[in-house]
Amino acid sequence: MRKSTLFLTLTALNLLLCALLALHARASNSGAGALRNSSRDLVRRLQLTDLCLFTEARYTRNPAMADRHSPFQDHPMALEHFPTGSLVTPPALHREAP
Amino acid sequence: MIELIEVSKSFNVGKVNQFDAVNRVSCSIHPGQVTILKGPSGSGKTTLLTLIGCMARPSSGRIMLGGIGARALPGTDPGAPLEITSLPERFLTGIRRSAFGFIFQQFNLVRGVSVLENVMLPSYPTGESQLAVRGRALELLELFNITRHAASQVGLLSGGEMQRVAIARALINNPSVIIADEPTAHLDSRLSREFMEIIATFKARGKTVLIASHDPIVFDSPLADQIIEMRDGSITSDRYAA
Amino acid sequence: MKRSIERHRNILDFALSSLLRRKGKNLSLLAVYTLIVFIIASIVFFTQALKREAGLVLQDAPDLVVQRMVAGRHDPIPVAYADKIAAIRGVSEVKPRFWGYYYDAVTGANFTLVACDDPAPAAESIFIGSGVARTCRLSEGDFLPLKDLKGAPALFAVQKIFPSDSELVAADLIQLKGDDFRRLFDFPQGRATDLAVSARNQNELKTIAAKIVHEFPDTRPILKSEMLRTYDAVFDWRSGMVVVVLAVAVLSFIIFAWDKATGLSAEERKEIGILKSIGWETGDVLLLKSWEGIIISLTAYLCGVSLAYLHVFFFSASLFERALKGWSVLYPEFKLTPVVDPYLLCVLFLLTVGPYVVATVVPSWLAATVDPDAAMRS
Repeated sequence: MRKSTLFLTLTALNLLLCALLALHARASNSGAGALRNSSRDLVRRLQLTDLCLFTEARYTRNPAMADRHSPFQDHPMALEHFPTGSLVTPPALHREAP
Repeated sequence: MIELIEVSKSFNVGKVNQFDAVNRVSCSIHPGQVTILKGPSGSGKTTLLTLIGCMARPSSGRIMLGGIGARALPGTDPGAPLEITSLPERFLTGIRRSAFGFIFQQFNLVRGVSVLENVMLPSYPTGESQLAVRGRALELLELFNITRHAASQVGLLSGGEMQRVAIARALINNPSVIIADEPTAHLDSRLSREFMEIIATFKARGKTVLIASHDPIVFDSPLADQIIEMRDGSITSDRYAA
Repeated sequence: MKRSIERHRNILDFALSSLLRRKGKNLSLLAVYTLIVFIIASIVFFTQALKREAGLVLQDAPDLVVQRMVAGRHDPIPVAYADKIAAIRGVSEVKPRFWGYYYDAVTGANFTLVACDDPAPAAESIFIGSGVARTCRLSEGDFLPLKDLKGAPALFAVQKIFPSDSELVAADLIQLKGDDFRRLFDFPQGRATDLAVSARNQNELKTIAAKIVHEFPDTRPILKSEMLRTYDAVFDWRSGMVVVVLAVAVLSFIIFAWDKATGLSAEERKEIGILKSIGWETGDVLLLKSWEGIIISLTAYLCGVSLAYLHVFFFSASLFERALKGWSVLYPEFKLTPVVDPYLLCVLFLLTVGPYVVATVVPSWLAATVDPDAAMRS
């Protein structure tokens, strides 16, 4: 088989895979509304404000409730020491100066 | 018929090291004949070959190609001689590809690629169907007895085998003119004589052959129809062998 | 037309032969390139999906949350504030929230405890999230021992486990009755963790917040829009870890392109000379180099993106687990809904294929324009 034929076939298969994944995304999204219902229900009943992503520290578990000083509450000179603390930032409130 | 009229080629024009490789050369190459360019190194043989073979343009003078089966330009009379001196690169390349086959002194084969692919390489940009070209290539390898090396790497071949690959490559586009630059430089006497036998077959098929060489096996060969002697960029003698 | 296609295919054949000559080097180049695209695409898919989930799931979060700050720390807010706040124009309801964190010494995990009486668990019973069930290996009917503020043990029966679909918000959640919550934490009477305020008109929230701060200067109101914006900023390219990963990726791209762009080796130059001498035009040589670049970068892009999609949406981004888990013990199972952002994928495509092809073609330009007769000379 010619090398170019092989390459073009493999690329075409790859593109096909990408197309299938895009279809998968489309299909998942149409069914996702129902899946979210249990989460939304809990959010509504328990009045939750955050997703449970990082359970390391208070301000990583509830970043929307944290403020700039939360990471440093333990000690005036405490440096950020939770790894996921570098992924979350406190909410930028309108009233607080940036 | 290839005609050169007062052709000159200079390098580094206008600079301190200006070098006139070819100096006001006029000659004719007749179709279907074997022409030898004889002379020491530095005499301008190689430069003249490149000019005739549409590889470079002369600094001054005119070169006319006629009756060599070159694809004529649109709008011109196919039978009339074609002046190539001021053609743009694309047309020059097209003519070169269809009318000329080159055999280089260093063979100039592409390393790391198979023999078969090396032979087919000149035809790639033409867009010709690969199946047809492949068939022709295998025939040529058969003709020169190197079919068993078709899939081998070029680097594994002996000098004589490499030259036959180079010759096969030169013939892939079915040119009417074969140009060889010092073909026997890296060959022993036996292989040099074998080379001349191959030239005989070309002549028998009506191809025009142009060889630059200072090897007596070549220029003393009975095949030679015309011998042009060069020295310091000029022709010193231009005679027809008996 | 057919000639043109055949020409491309022929040159593509030779480009492949050319690359296969240095099989090891080119395969490892392809592998590393794919890896980089994989990492960047994984980050893109993951963050886009999370941000969208946050936006959709937290739609029903409280309109406004009022916290109290004392000496720069959060302090339980007097429930009495609720009456004054409820009196502000536009406020429809004020509900005190009771929630907090509990560190379980046995597992080392942090739980979030929420007191809610609607519907309430039975006395001394809890509803737990699937993450808690996983970490403590609990099922319905089991018991979970918690320690109160004085260190005395308090046993709670697991009445219900929240559905695993709610993992994203409730993985570490433990819901108990209000009384149990207050007893466990010895929570001060008349105080709540914070107040959840509902407003009739969303546009009035800013004004209401301003009025709250004016009335109670020790409070810190947080609007729902600000809460949601936090999740837009998570995994922001400015955040620490993402900067490092992206910097490494960009540096690698540069190194590849540099290797190509710093000119051709003598061998490559000679080869271009040979091609020119056997009848290839400048355009043909440049097409060859373009194909060489496209073969590697296009393959890397398609493979990288496909693998990234599979990684994030079929395997829950398991490769990121180490980084995202940090020191936490309880780690949610990310079942994310796929989000495909065509804009970002196009940008990634242009960044992957563009510079690499340019870096492959441009250095060859000079060599490709050389006169064929130079090959005769060498």
